[in-house]
Amino acid sequence: MRELRIRTPLQALLLALVLGYAGILLLAPMVAITQGALGSGLGKLIEALLTPDVIDAFELTFLLAFGAVIINTIAGIALAWVLVRHNFPGKNVVNALVDAPFSFSPVIIGYALILLFGRNGWLQPANFQIAFAWPGMLLATIFVSLPFVTREVQPVLADLTREQEEAAFTLGASRWRTFRRIILPQIWSGLLYGIVLTFARSVGEFGAVAVVGGSIERQTETATVFVFRAMDDRNLIGAYGVSVTLGLLSIAILVVMSLLRRRPAR
Amino acid sequence: MSILVDNVSKSYQTKTHLSVVRNLTLEVLTGELFVLVGASGSGKSTLLRLIAGLVNVDQGRIWLHGRDVTDLPVQQRNTGFVFQNYSLFRHMTVAENIAFALSIRQVSRQERERRTDELLNLIGLDGYGDRMPSELSGGQQQRVALARALAHEPEVLLLDEPFGALDAKIRVQLRQTLREIQQRLNLTTILVTHDQDEAFELADRIGIIEQGNLLEIGVPSALYRRPQDRFTATFLGSANMLNGERNGNKVYLNYQHEQVTLKAPPNTEHLSGRQVDIFSRPEEIELALTPDGIRGQLIGTGIVQSATFAGPLERVLVQLSAPGKDSPDPITLQVVLTADEAREKGINPGQQVWVGLKDFHLLARTES
Amino acid sequence: MTDISLPSAKAPLNGDARPVPRPQAAWGAWSLRFAALSYLAVFIAVPLLAIGVEGLGGGLETFVTSITRPAALNAVWLSVWTAAVMTVINTVMGTLTAYVLTMYKFPGKAVFNALVDLPFAIPTLVTGVMLVLLYGPQTAIGGFFEKQLGFRILFAPPGIVLALLFVSYPFVLRMVQPVLQELEANQEEAAHTLGATPWTTFRRVIFPAIRPAVISGALISFGRALGEFGSIVVVAGNIPMRSQTAAVYVYGQVEGGNMQSASGVSLVLLAIAFSITLGVDFFLRRRHA
Repeated sequence: MRELRIRTPLQALLLALVLGYAGILLLAPMVAITQGALGSGLGKLIEALLTPDVIDAFELTFLLAFGAVIINTIAGIALAWVLVRHNFPGKNVVNALVDAPFSFSPVIIGYALILLFGRNGWLQPANFQIAFAWPGMLLATIFVSLPFVTREVQPVLADLTREQEEAAFTLGASRWRTFRRIILPQIWSGLLYGIVLTFARSVGEFGAVAVVGGSIERQTETATVFVFRAMDDRNLIGAYGVSVTLGLLSIAILVVMSLLRRRPAR
Repeated sequence: MSILVDNVSKSYQTKTHLSVVRNLTLEVLTGELFVLVGASGSGKSTLLRLIAGLVNVDQGRIWLHGRDVTDLPVQQRNTGFVFQNYSLFRHMTVAENIAFALSIRQVSRQERERRTDELLNLIGLDGYGDRMPSELSGGQQQRVALARALAHEPEVLLLDEPFGALDAKIRVQLRQTLREIQQRLNLTTILVTHDQDEAFELADRIGIIEQGNLLEIGVPSALYRRPQDRFTATFLGSANMLNGERNGNKVYLNYQHEQVTLKAPPNTEHLSGRQVDIFSRPEEIELALTPDGIRGQLIGTGIVQSATFAGPLERVLVQLSAPGKDSPDPITLQVVLTADEAREKGINPGQQVWVGLKDFHLLARTES
Repeated sequence: MTDISLPSAKAPLNGDARPVPRPQAAWGAWSLRFAALSYLAVFIAVPLLAIGVEGLGGGLETFVTSITRPAALNAVWLSVWTAAVMTVINTVMGTLTAYVLTMYKFPGKAVFNALVDLPFAIPTLVTGVMLVLLYGPQTAIGGFFEKQLGFRILFAPPGIVLALLFVSYPFVLRMVQPVLQELEANQEEAAHTLGATPWTTFRRVIFPAIRPAVISGALISFGRALGEFGSIVVVAGNIPMRSQTAAVYVYGQVEGGNMQSASGVSLVLLAIAFSITLGVDFFLRRRHA
C-alpha cells in the first residue's frame, strides 16, 4: 500500500492514539526502570552488577542460550527440511506440533521436566542429575525456543527449487557440498533471523528454568531467576540493575532483528 | 554407441500420478542429437532422469560410453543436464554458475575464468558474467544453464524440455543455438520435448514414447511419412485414417456400402492379407472440382465443411459422402492446401469436391 | 521472510516433495526424518504424556477434585477473563497500530516499527519488574490511582491485564501487518472513487481482507496469555483466590510438592491452549488452501 502523509485531524488523532498507547505501554516502563537502576548512582549500580551472584547468573544464562541455539539450529534445519521436502503420513500434525511450545505455559514445561527427571522421575538416569541442575534447564530452554529456526527456515527453503539441487548433483557436487554452497547461502538470512529469535527467547526464559532448576542460588540461577530472587530479597538495585542489563540486551537484539528484516533477499 | 538404456524399468508414485517406464531399451549413437517425444506423463522425463542418475532404476542397466553407470551416483556419471526452468543458482553470478562444476573439480582460477569466457562467447552472452540470474530473461537464463552444463566437458548432454517455458520466438532462436553448439562439439545429446516441431527441427533421430513404452524410433521424415505405429502417426501431426484391407498388390478402401480399389504402396508386402489403416497426411490429400482433376488415386466425393486461413496454407475439412465401415458417423478428412491452390480451385464451405490420395501409407490394424 | 515467528500462515508445506532418488539417500532421508521427528517427540510428546499420566493417574475422580478446588477454579477463571479482556483491547489496538504503520508516513516511523517488537525480545520477568516500578502502589501513578480512585493497579487484576497487554502487543499487530501491506492500494482507491468514506472503506473493503489475520492473532495472543507467568508473578501479588492466575497457582503447587493438583490444572490449561493453537493452525490452513 502507498504511504500517505497525515492530512486530516482524524488521521492525526488516530496516530496520536496509537503512538500514545505504545508509548505508555512500552516506553514508560523502560524509562522507569532505567531511572530506578540509576537511582543510587551509576557507581552503585555497577557494584551491584559485579557481584559473584550476578556474574554466575549471567554466565549460566548465556551458556544455556548458546546451547539451545546450537541444538535448535541443527534440529530446526532438519525439521524444516523434512517438512518442506518430504511427504509422509501425519505431516500436518507434525507441522502443527512445531508450534506447540507457544501453547505451553513455562511453568508447565518446568513441571513436566521435573516429573520426568526429578527424584522419582520416569527417565531419571542413575548417576547423572538432570532436574535441579543445568541439564534440565538446558532441556527447558531448548523446548521454549524450539519453533523459531524451523519457522524462519521453512519459507526460504520452499523458495529454493529442487532443480537447483539436482543441477548441482549433475555438475558433480556431493550432497554435503550442495548443502554448503547452494542451500545454506540461500536460506542464510532466514536462518540467521531464526537464530537471533532463538537466542532472545532463551535469554528471556524464566518460568521453566526456575521450576526445573529449583532456583538454587549460584548453581541453577539464571539472570532472570536472579531478578526474581532479588525482588524477593528486597535487593532492589540488584534486581533493577540486572533488569536494565537484560533490557539493553533486548534492545540490541531488536536492532539486529530489524537490520536482518530489512536486508533484501537475494 | 554412447548411451545404452538396457531393458530399464522404473515405477513410482508422485503426488499427481504414477510415473512409469517399462522395459525400455534405447541406443543413442555418438554425436547424435536424439529427441524423445511424448505427451505429459509419458515417462520421457523419467527416462532422462534415470540416465542422469537423479532417479534409480528398478530394473535394467544404463551404459554411458561403454561404462556401466547404473550403480553410480549422479555426481559420477559425468553428464550435463539442463532443466526446464529455475535451475540457476540464484545467489551466484552468471560466471559463478557456469564455473561451478570446475570449482568443484579444483580447476585453477585462471583456467576457470578462461573457460567461463569461452562458454559465455559460445552462448552469445559475452560480458554478462557479473550479472545475477534474476537480472536475465528466461531465454538468457537457459543459455547460461546450457553453458553451465557444458563447463566440465560432459560426455553426454541431457535436456529436459529446456525451452518449454519460453516465448515462441525465443524458442526458435535457442533451438538454433543448441543445434549449432551440439554440432560444433559433436556432443551426444538427448532432448526431451512434447513439441513435435522442435523434434523435427533438431533431431537426428526421434523416439516416440507413450506410457513408459518406446513405441518407435526413426529419422524425422521416416516417422512422419511412414510411421509403423498408430500412436506415432497421430501424435506427430494430423493423420487421416481410413479402413482398408491389403490383398495381392491391391489395397481395398472399405466404406460402409462400397469399396474402392487402390494400388498398394511399395514395401507393404508384410501386411498382405491383413486389415490395415490407410494413413495419409493432410498434404497428401487432393481436392478437385471434377474427377479428372485428380492426379492421384480417386477415393470418392465429399463436401467442404470449413476452410481456415493459416498464412501460406489453407486448412480444409472435407466430409466424405460415403460413410465409413466402422461407424455410422461420416468420415471427415483434414486437408491442407497452399493458399494459392485453394483460391484457384475455389475451395469454399459447402463446395462439392472430388477427393483423391496423392500418397498414402499402411499401418497394421490392431484389434483394440 | 516472516517478520516474526508466529505460527505462520505461510509456513509452507508444499515444497516440491519428490521421491528420493538413490538407495543410500533414501536411507539418509529416513534417518533424517526419524531424527527430526524423534526430536519433536522427545520434547513435546513425552512431557505431555508425563503430565497426563500424573494428572489422571490417580483416577478421574481425583483429577476432578483437584481441579474443582476453589483456589484452582478461581485461578483458572482469573487467567481466562484477564486474558480475554487483554485480547479484546490488544486486538483493537494491534489492528490500529498495523493500520497506522502500513498507511501513514510520519517521523520516527522506522524506530517505532522496530520498537513494537520489544515485548518479543524482552524477558517477561523484566516486564513485570518494570511495571512494578512504574505502577506500584508506592509510585506516583499507582498511588494516585489507589488513593484517589480506590483502584489498585498492581497486585490486582488490572495489573495482570496490563502485564498481558505488554507481552502480547506484537502478536496481533505482526500478523495483520503483512496482510495489510499486501492489500493492493488500488482496492482502497477504487472504493474511494466509488464514493466510499474512509470508514466504509475500512469496514467493507479492508477489514474483510484482514479478518482472518486478526482472528488468528487474537486467538494466539489469548492462548499465550493463558500461560503467561514471568510478568505476572511479580506484578500480581499472587494472593490465592484474589490475584493468582492458573500458571502461578501451578507454580505454587509444584513448589509445595502437590503434584496432583499441579498436574490437574496444567492439563486444563494445556487443553485450552492446545485446542486454540491447533484450531488456529487448521483455520489458517483452510484459508490458504
